[in-house]
Amino acid sequence: MLGWEFPPIVSGGLGVATLGITKALTKYVQQQVVLPKSDPGIRLPNTQVIGLNERTQIRVRDQFQTDYYQGYETSFSSAPSIDPYATNGSLPIGIKKPSTWSTGSSTKKKEWYHPFEIDALYDHQTHQKVIDYAFQTADLVQDWNFDIIHAHDWMTLLAGVEIKHRTGKPLVVHIHSLEYDRTGATENNWIFAIEKLGMEVADYVVPVSHYTASIAHETYQIPIHKLRPVHNGIDFKIPFKEPKQFPEKLILFIGRLTHQKGPEYFLEVADRVLQQYPNTRFVMAGTGDQFQPLIETGAYKHMGTKLHFTGFLDRSKINSLLSMADVYVMPSVSEPFGLSALEAAQFGVPCIVSKQSGVSEILTGALTVDYWDVKSMVQSILLVLRDEHFAATMADNARQDAALSTWERTAAQLFDLYKTLVVR
Amino acid sequence: MRSISLCFQVHQPYRMLPYTFFDLGNNHVYEDNRANETILKKVAENCYLPANALLLELTQHFMGDFRCTFSLTGTFLEQSVEFNTPVLSSFQNVVRSNCIEILSETYYHSLSAFFHPEEFRRQIDLHRKYIHKYFGLTPSIFRNTELIHNNAIAEQVKGLGLKGILTEGVATLLKGRNNQKLYTPSQTEIPLLLRHCTYSDDIAFRFSDKQWKGYPLSATTFAEWIDHSLKKNEHLTLYIDYETLGEHHSSATGIFEFIKELPKEILSRKIHFLNPSEAIESHDIQDVYDAHHTISWADSEKDLSAWYMNSMQREALEKIYSLTPLIYKIKNRAFLETWSRLQTSDHFYYMSTKGLADGKVHQYFSPFPTPYDAYIHYMNIVADFELELKKYSIL
Repeated sequence: MLGWEFPPIVSGGLGVATLGITKALTKYVQQQVVLPKSDPGIRLPNTQVIGLNERTQIRVRDQFQTDYYQGYETSFSSAPSIDPYATNGSLPIGIKKPSTWSTGSSTKKKEWYHPFEIDALYDHQTHQKVIDYAFQTADLVQDWNFDIIHAHDWMTLLAGVEIKHRTGKPLVVHIHSLEYDRTGATENNWIFAIEKLGMEVADYVVPVSHYTASIAHETYQIPIHKLRPVHNGIDFKIPFKEPKQFPEKLILFIGRLTHQKGPEYFLEVADRVLQQYPNTRFVMAGTGDQFQPLIETGAYKHMGTKLHFTGFLDRSKINSLLSMADVYVMPSVSEPFGLSALEAAQFGVPCIVSKQSGVSEILTGALTVDYWDVKSMVQSILLVLRDEHFAATMADNARQDAALSTWERTAAQLFDLYKTLVVR
Repeated sequence: MRSISLCFQVHQPYRMLPYTFFDLGNNHVYEDNRANETILKKVAENCYLPANALLLELTQHFMGDFRCTFSLTGTFLEQSVEFNTPVLSSFQNVVRSNCIEILSETYYHSLSAFFHPEEFRRQIDLHRKYIHKYFGLTPSIFRNTELIHNNAIAEQVKGLGLKGILTEGVATLLKGRNNQKLYTPSQTEIPLLLRHCTYSDDIAFRFSDKQWKGYPLSATTFAEWIDHSLKKNEHLTLYIDYETLGEHHSSATGIFEFIKELPKEILSRKIHFLNPSEAIESHDIQDVYDAHHTISWADSEKDLSAWYMNSMQREALEKIYSLTPLIYKIKNRAFLETWSRLQTSDHFYYMSTKGLADGKVHQYFSPFPTPYDAYIHYMNIVADFELELKKYSIL
């Protein structure tokens, strides 16, 4: 298992999902999880968690076989990205080629040692760390006894591909999100190229939704027979209800305030709903590059006492919001899964989610709209606000959908997939 | 006669708490009393108390020849009483010297002149009442919040029986004329004293700036400049933040010594200290200062843009004044007070998104990390306040 984020060292949904999957799989298989950085406190049955940061010396003996650089050398045009979820994925200028790799045709084995150092999972050095992670992980695991390589998202794909080259073991590539979702990138983009390479080399590609599978097929030209979508799950939680301290109905947006999540559509929807149904309040929880422009737009539309920005919120505050909410809206432009909608469903909040999302495939009780269709989104919200019986039915359905979405289900489907690979 | 007015603005706002969505409906305390108390006490120690002691000493020493003027906001006076400080009595001591004039202004340091004439008048009346209560004086010269001024405001001020106005000498309105004369607005006749921007800011902003070519500024040099600049029968008005003394410029910069030396240097050059109400008696109106658009002393624009420019400031100001009819209707003292304190111009100043040098000044005064935070918290407070108002008005 090759992972990047892993709780408690986590910055987004990837870590939550990697842990959820790993934990549920302990029932079926033995796992060795290699991470760039791990918390020593983490303990799971049947599972060894290795953080490269904790190893004082790492040996790199063999020539790196995967050509990840030359084919894309011409595309390194733009400035280095700080956050791979916020900017384009081109390889930063000045990146170091490891010494073992530069000699090309030489077959002489070199050995070098150095500890893996990483502070933040995502910063200006992320690309270099991804390459270091691949070199060192490949060397670390090449003599181990294992059956399957399972790699999560682009940061670990280079390692996954290299290990497959060296060991001949089958590779499962798990796609939680694609560069295409994050930035709309298709070419001249190093991350996009790594993703394409990883999915091409993989024996199976496991996208977190049919929606993401369709992007892998249409945009990355991955053959359909290799795509095996498996939905994420959600940890069981007993929802609670907190009384609101104000009379208005509460409508929520939770997510990063970036174009991918469609916050500007939410703001437009809020404005129109307020005009037709003034007894409402809106909360936009999260932060991102659109934070300031959204605030200014809200002020321009004179919504400041009805549209509340909270900035980044911790788990307990998010839960508190969900416990008060009357409607949850997720207008994402492109959302591979959309865990936060599932969390809202768990709290019995009626959900309105964009059709361009993975979670819409399992939230059968939710209303779905195209992210750009502000008019339908407004009508859907008004429908829920005006009809209490309908809202109650939606809430029940949401709870049921969430109850069925377990990590156990996810793990069982992955284990079935593993079996077909090992038999072969 | 050549004369000069030395005026000090003393103001402290009620700073608001960071107030989040989760406070809405739960918490009706909006003011950050800890910060307000801490700041008042710190400024008292650095500025108000030592500066008052110095002014008292100077008035006694020159036996009436040294005179100066205070502009004291209601929110400042209230806090100095509320937090049980010796600040108020220290001001009362200086005022007892009979060399001090106190100006008229809006009690809450608000922009009501621009948004609501009736509220404007109410705040001037309230301020007059408290100045009389604390100091036994009745102000006759008006200075608006941040010297905000236009012809219409002047007309209204005259209608309230006030005798003169102190405002900013703005280059675009002076059009090359000097600001050392008395002016009048175009429609109404009321004496206007214009703040001398350059000399005032030499003390207020540049005094401790080592890059400035005038640095270090001595009282002798400064008096020489003024002597050179003042012609026969001219009057010059200096108007600065009182916090300039000891707070904006620490005592180590020599600001107290500068002020201490200044009266002697000025008087020895046959320039008289006159307070504004005395200046309008001793000098005649000479020209028209036609403010058909609104001016102020703030930033390089010298207009309303420090408080009323970007969409956040516009919404916040328009929102708070949109509550006026409801507030007037329900006639509840506590609501009226909360609402009035929310009008203080500082809240909108914190929301300014201006860049460059002016932005730094805004940020220096702001309790919030960004203008966006200032806006978010302010609007959450107004949202809660509005809920409380509606609850009350239904009962």
